[in-house]
Amino acid sequence: MMEQTRAGRKRGALGTAVLYVIVVIALIWALLPIVWMVLSSLKTQAGMFSMPPKFLFKPTFDTYRQMFSASGGFGHYLWNSVVASVLSTAISLVLGTLGGFALARGHFKRGKDLSFWVISTRMAPIPAVMLPLYLMFSKLGLIGTMTGLVFAYTTFNLPFALWIMMTFFKDIPPALEEAGMVDGCSKFQAFWKITLPMAAPGLVATGILCLMFAWNDYSFASVFTSTATQTVPVAASLLVSQEGVQWGQAMATGTIIILPMLIAGIFVRKYLVRGLSMGAVK
Amino acid sequence: MLAPSVVILAIISIVPLFYMIYASLMNYTLNPDQPVFYQLHNWLSVLRDATYWHSWGRTVVFVVVGLAVELLLGTGLALAIYHIPKGRNLVATLWMLPLFVAPIVTGLLGRFLLNTTYGMYAWLLQCIGMNTDILGTTSTAMPAIILMDVWEWTPLITIIVLAGLQAMPEEPLEAADVDGASYWMKLRYVILPLVKRAIVVALLIRSMDILRYVDTILITTQGGPADSTKTVGYYLVQVAFQFQDFGRAAAIGLTMLVVTIFLGKSFIRIFARGEE
Repeated sequence: MMEQTRAGRKRGALGTAVLYVIVVIALIWALLPIVWMVLSSLKTQAGMFSMPPKFLFKPTFDTYRQMFSASGGFGHYLWNSVVASVLSTAISLVLGTLGGFALARGHFKRGKDLSFWVISTRMAPIPAVMLPLYLMFSKLGLIGTMTGLVFAYTTFNLPFALWIMMTFFKDIPPALEEAGMVDGCSKFQAFWKITLPMAAPGLVATGILCLMFAWNDYSFASVFTSTATQTVPVAASLLVSQEGVQWGQAMATGTIIILPMLIAGIFVRKYLVRGLSMGAVK
Repeated sequence: MLAPSVVILAIISIVPLFYMIYASLMNYTLNPDQPVFYQLHNWLSVLRDATYWHSWGRTVVFVVVGLAVELLLGTGLALAIYHIPKGRNLVATLWMLPLFVAPIVTGLLGRFLLNTTYGMYAWLLQCIGMNTDILGTTSTAMPAIILMDVWEWTPLITIIVLAGLQAMPEEPLEAADVDGASYWMKLRYVILPLVKRAIVVALLIRSMDILRYVDTILITTQGGPADSTKTVGYYLVQVAFQFQDFGRAAAIGLTMLVVTIFLGKSFIRIFARGEE
């Protein structure tokens, strides 16, 4: 409320109108491609390509129906994507929460080096991470397996979860756990019954962001999967790299990739700045 | 409690790192699968490779131009959203939606919208007399790739700076009002210094991420036309997975890591300052 009065102070109707025009133009630029993709996925093959663009038409779900039919095989890719992202998220959350708590509470001699190591693991360029993993996986026979893919996703989700959970735990005063321990809790019980429930919203947000990073990945999956373990983003890329680009299916696949993430993203909006700035902005 | 994560983290980061250092010293292909010690041959050939340096040059252009545009637009829009009297939350939520779009889908959309025969953006450009095949022309492919990055990631700068603006203390602005400062003076001397840390954080995160992803280039131009969009990340993918010269690719990868580590160090410094 304070901000509202401060922002509104000393500015005429003209200034406000200009601001709204800028904001509307920005929103059109941001949303038009997404809207256009969803609309295109609901058009017939012929309707998709007609220019000037049509925004009003009779929608058809034929493309989706065809993709999910027995011969389309799309359900299988969807299952792979779900399994890979859920598993890597689960592993990262469990280990990241424990590690993050220890890092937030413990006094490690080289705590700073440790946290730097965590952040650099998360920030390393994907091609530079892919390469040694690929060589090691080929030796171990993990190329094309779900295990390999889950492992690959954990390379970026675990450091992320560990780091972000550490920042959440740092916000919770240790005095609460100490009080619990005075009342007879063990150190782990104090963490499990007192601190973890307080960090629950942060945990949910972290989990959703981990899911998103894995779900949205293309690079790792393009190298580490085979036909049997292909994920949705890889399927999308194959639709446009084969001869005769299948734009209808590509747009429908794109829609399926982004819709769950748009919904999840709005859901964790409050924690988004924090998650995406690696906890540096709260 | 830290032990299991540290062990796993070591397996997923230190082991691959040492493996990459090892690979960079070997003549390493999968066929035959018997790497031979190669001394510093890979390193020397990378450092003498003109394509490598050119790909760094393009990466610098990509990063500098991309980040500059994102910073200006992102901060400008954060200020605009901050100052609108109503609907701030709704606008911020809608504006950040591209952040959730998988980079591969951004690339797909770019290709679809810029397709010369049925792309909507290509059609709009044709209406104003521009008939070039944007992604197929050397002079326009890189700007298009940069714009895709701008589309997807400018909202990140906006929400970080907006969070900084909303956390601003009242007093300095009130004092400036009492002194009769104009809006531009307030922006220059009060607002921007107060959100400086948020801006630096946003820039560091973005510069690490812009080096991190190659998805859009993989799906749109594949480094072309005529190498005009071949960034160092894409070059690494090409040397490794197309030419299968893993030793040389490992040397390229290690040089990229050095840059990331430098950026990460700066981030930790800024982060620690905020913790105090």
